[in-house]
Amino acid sequence: MEHDLWRQWQAFAALATPSAAAGPGSAPPGGFGFAPFVDAAERFAAATRSFRDSSVGGSATAVAAAAQTFSDFLRDQYADVFKMPWSAAPLAGADLAPAVELPALGLTREHQQRAQRAAQAWRDMEDAQRRLQRLWADTLREAAAAFVARLEAPQSTALTPDALNRLYDTWIDCAEEAYARTAHSEPFCSAIADYVNASSQWRRESNAGAELWAKLLDLPTRHEVNTLAQRLRALEEQVRAQAEVRKEASAARKPPGAARKRPNPARERRRAPKAKP
Amino acid sequence: MTSPNLYAALAAARHCVAGCSVKEEVWRNGKLRLYRYRSIAKPASAAPLLIVYALVNRPYMMDLQEDRSLIRGLLAQGLDVYLIDWGYPDGADRFTTLTDYIEDQLKGCVEQILESHGLDALNLLGVCQGGVLSLCFAALHPERVRNLITMVTPVDFHTPADLLSKWVQKIDVDAWVGDGNVSGEVLNQLFLSLMPFRLMHQKYVALLRGEADSARIENFMRVEQWIFDSPDQAGAAFRDFVVWMYQENRLARNRLEIASRTVDLRSLELPILNLIGKKDHLVPPASSEALKRLAGSRDFTTLEFDLGHIGMYVSARAQREVPPAIAQWLAAR
Repeated sequence: MEHDLWRQWQAFAALATPSAAAGPGSAPPGGFGFAPFVDAAERFAAATRSFRDSSVGGSATAVAAAAQTFSDFLRDQYADVFKMPWSAAPLAGADLAPAVELPALGLTREHQQRAQRAAQAWRDMEDAQRRLQRLWADTLREAAAAFVARLEAPQSTALTPDALNRLYDTWIDCAEEAYARTAHSEPFCSAIADYVNASSQWRRESNAGAELWAKLLDLPTRHEVNTLAQRLRALEEQVRAQAEVRKEASAARKPPGAARKRPNPARERRRAPKAKP
Repeated sequence: MTSPNLYAALAAARHCVAGCSVKEEVWRNGKLRLYRYRSIAKPASAAPLLIVYALVNRPYMMDLQEDRSLIRGLLAQGLDVYLIDWGYPDGADRFTTLTDYIEDQLKGCVEQILESHGLDALNLLGVCQGGVLSLCFAALHPERVRNLITMVTPVDFHTPADLLSKWVQKIDVDAWVGDGNVSGEVLNQLFLSLMPFRLMHQKYVALLRGEADSARIENFMRVEQWIFDSPDQAGAAFRDFVVWMYQENRLARNRLEIASRTVDLRSLELPILNLIGKKDHLVPPASSEALKRLAGSRDFTTLEFDLGHIGMYVSARAQREVPPAIAQWLAAR
């Protein structure tokens, strides 16, 4: 899908780049700016007009066919939301079964096993993504059906911008309602969790491979830096604890009458605290 | 829809920045900055008010622009306002825990303010996740908090409408976080996924089909900047928060331990004002409402507003109603 929601989001996020164009005509194809949103709105308007033109004065069969076409259009517009941007990566769609299922042998056995775990994690990610995609497709089907059911009988009068806006908002309401039902469901929650868990596993195995290369090249590894950070943290905690002991000892030496005062806002505003570096 | 005026207004709004009230940095600790806002009205007779914002977004949402600033509203009521800016954690902060945020950073801010004012206790206003931090702090250090205000604060993380909670139940958070931080961009995607059609599509279409009104567009752009200005999350603190709160619901079950001490909400006997957004999609109202039955306070006030999560900070209605409500409640105590 050239105009799917995910790419629209990406295009919009790219507005932050200095090369972002401000005008509708200056946005490059598939590039930055509001063009994707304008395009989407115009496609929505065109599909709505087409639905109306095909329905006005038509038979029940013609109206049903037009509704089906309109419903298909809506599903098509938002079909690829859960298709992740890295779906086009080298491993995507590859048959990883042989790599995962064959036993690891020989001197590099441990490295082979790590690669197998990474490949398995990739398969699990793809599987979870397919489940999400299916649930999303079901959601869109449900949303489109609800939207078409809510449409009033087509009128022969022209569609005004206000009427189009109302239709668009109704579509969004239908879509969010259908999505909410899906998103709260157990299959969706499980698919999300499986996707995150598999990607965590894949990242862990990939990190282990990178650590190996870093060790071979005598570069600092993540593990090594973490160890140093933990030691530093332990030292900081010791220093804080000692400071706390000193503070308590100092407080214990103060005379009993030196307690803190009640607030006097007018006086306090005159003595704003000084910044400490 | 695509009038040249609209595009001109959008182009002009590209560089608008958030923030309007004058503030002074009064303390810092690592990446944390503590700010005190300059007063703009006759001081009210209340202790200083420390705003504890969430870790997951930037605190300037509290002071977005002149007509959309909770802080400005509080200053106009004569309150002495402080704000914590947690900063942007980086890889060096990956082992910073929730306990560090509460017992080192938040506590450090409170002590700094109390010391400079010569007081025993101050008023806390915790916002969203910052409300959870504030609840923990108040339960652990009741002598240092005079009054507690919680705003769109999750307390019971297992209510039926809590979508985030449902999503994370089966996630292996240890594996997700690993030894690193959690990317703010990932969290943005998660939040957008709560209402994808509205948040990723409808709001931009609504922007384009509205009037070429520069004030409206600049307001939109400031909110837009804030929404996507999401700091990475210190890995250890993120893991603590997701596992302890979202997965195990320890706060509501009085099973949360911070620095080896139990955070028992029943011990909260101080006055509490709980501000709830009835249309909040991020923190379900039921999650916040739970505080009333869990806290030990006999001076408990709940105020509900017909607003969403973000609307509670920046809507026109919030500007009119929330600061006076807070000021009046504090003045009565």
